[in-house]
Amino acid sequence: MTALAAAPNPSIRPIPWPRLGWVAWRQHRSTLVGAVALLAVIGLYLLIDGLRMRASYDAFLACTPANSPACQLAWQSFHDSFGSSGLIGVILMLLPGIIGAFAGAPILARELETGTFRYAWTQGAGRMRWATSELVTGAVGVAVLLAAFGTLVSWYNQPLVAAGIMPRLRATVFPATGVAAPGWALAGFALGVLAGLLWRRVLPALASACAAWFALAFLAGGLLRQNYLSPMTTTSLQLSNTDLTVGQWWTRGGLPVSNAEINSTLQAVGTHLDGSTSASVAHVGSAVDPVQYLLRHGYQQVTSYQPDSRYWPFQWIEFGWVAALSLLLLGATLWLLRRRSAR
Amino acid sequence: MNIIETSGLGRRYGSSWALSECTLAIPEGHLVALVGPNGAGKSTLLNLVVGLTAPSVGELTVLGGVPAGSPAALDGIAFVAQDMPLYRHLSVADMLHLTRNLNRRFDTSLARRRLADLGISDKRRAGKLSGGQQAQLALTLALARHPRLLVLDEPTAPLDPLARHDFMASVLTAMADDGISVILSSHLLAELERVADYLVLISRGRVRLDGTIDELLDLHRLLTGRPDTCAEAGYSIIESVTSGAQMHRLVRLPSTDAPLPAGCESRPVGIEELTLAYLREVPAPPLAALTGVSR
Repeated sequence: MTALAAAPNPSIRPIPWPRLGWVAWRQHRSTLVGAVALLAVIGLYLLIDGLRMRASYDAFLACTPANSPACQLAWQSFHDSFGSSGLIGVILMLLPGIIGAFAGAPILARELETGTFRYAWTQGAGRMRWATSELVTGAVGVAVLLAAFGTLVSWYNQPLVAAGIMPRLRATVFPATGVAAPGWALAGFALGVLAGLLWRRVLPALASACAAWFALAFLAGGLLRQNYLSPMTTTSLQLSNTDLTVGQWWTRGGLPVSNAEINSTLQAVGTHLDGSTSASVAHVGSAVDPVQYLLRHGYQQVTSYQPDSRYWPFQWIEFGWVAALSLLLLGATLWLLRRRSAR
Repeated sequence: MNIIETSGLGRRYGSSWALSECTLAIPEGHLVALVGPNGAGKSTLLNLVVGLTAPSVGELTVLGGVPAGSPAALDGIAFVAQDMPLYRHLSVADMLHLTRNLNRRFDTSLARRRLADLGISDKRRAGKLSGGQQAQLALTLALARHPRLLVLDEPTAPLDPLARHDFMASVLTAMADDGISVILSSHLLAELERVADYLVLISRGRVRLDGTIDELLDLHRLLTGRPDTCAEAGYSIIESVTSGAQMHRLVRLPSTDAPLPAGCESRPVGIEELTLAYLREVPAPPLAALTGVSR
């Protein structure tokens, strides 16, 4: 009876984190093994293809004189074999989000779907401590895996970047490389966990997390990234092919001019602007080069761009906001979980 | 000390009340049978006790004044939920290890001994065990935590009669060995009648009857007699049946030592008879949406 009398004492020593970490590891070991296996297969492909690409690029670099037909052939061979990334490029871009969502969605959804939450949340550790350990273990695992993977993709792309074939800032390349890759994996993970809590079933949670991740990645690539720092502008007609063009327009005397004005000027030589928004100019059945014509008549073409040198600042900016958003989502998930009542 | 104490406890889902105006004070050391038809609110009450659900209104403490769901409450209560949720892909040994890492106390040697006695191999996957073995595994995981209160939600529903008997025997042994309190829900009173010593009867989200079974039996009498001679005034009538000139009434006495009414034949009632009468009783508040009791 003395033991019972002491019961209301609230100073219960919490379960140590390493023990809870073991629980998370044991429960999700197979997910991790699956993710590692998938990344290993793709990684092996990147390693082998990357080594072949390096050999081909080194052959081109070692070739002298540079303008000999043999060297042009070496360039052609490198460009044709590795110049277009194709399907693997799409896979690499989507992989961080998919792996994150696959790791995150089942964590809460499977417990709720199979009813095992009634076991997990009534143990001495309590549901919040259990959930925190599950989420932290998962997030760290996913981030570490994809950080290694982002480094490998960066290594793979390096000859293409050096050769000017693949700008590192390009929307299809940037998020799969460097530190953006673990950032986007965290976003997929956080969306998966939250969707799992809301749907309470694995498959719909996975589908909606992937959809939400894709929308976010699309938004970031299409609208946000080019404005992380204000773009630089140049009147040079030839931009370095490692830089990323943001916009182009015509000016006269330092002021922007409308496409209509450009078109009316070009009417004199029987040509017009290509498309409604693009400021580039098409040759349409005219002997006169319209760009040269416009330049001669006091117009200037201005190009805004993000230089390749901003790759790392942009990587850290992207990692920063995506990781912060992911932590916010995970925090919101824990808050909802605390309030959730079982039926 | 009260192992479960509630006051005006209620839980609402949307606009319907799964449990309302529940006031209980269950002393420790009992095997409590929580009985009621399906959908009566038994699982809701148990989920509240183990902290899976938060009350909509009212108070709920466990283990002598500890708020339900608090670390101290989780530490001292073991719960075996309906359909014994286990991680089906994990082995029995993994489930043991998992439970040990999720709790401050876990008696691994007790768990191993129990499983060995039951012939459940360490290496088998939890999902591959038979229904009876899964129930025994879930019970073993709960008992090895040395809880002060063991909460079992319809534990015997999926079991065949033999497994059911073995399961209840395990619960009773644990009660005798560790002096733990047990609350066990079922929609069948028959299987609890012989083992339980405390009854909470619940229907349509309300507690109809609660107390030790001995006390409840002492408080109720079945009166038989002619309506004009049998004066039952002063007693609450639970059920009344008239056949010809004879009248049968189940009444509740104001206290166990209250005098029996004159002019009628009086006999004690059985626990099953008593619970059926209470379940048939038409409740005053209209809760028609919930599942009623078939007559």
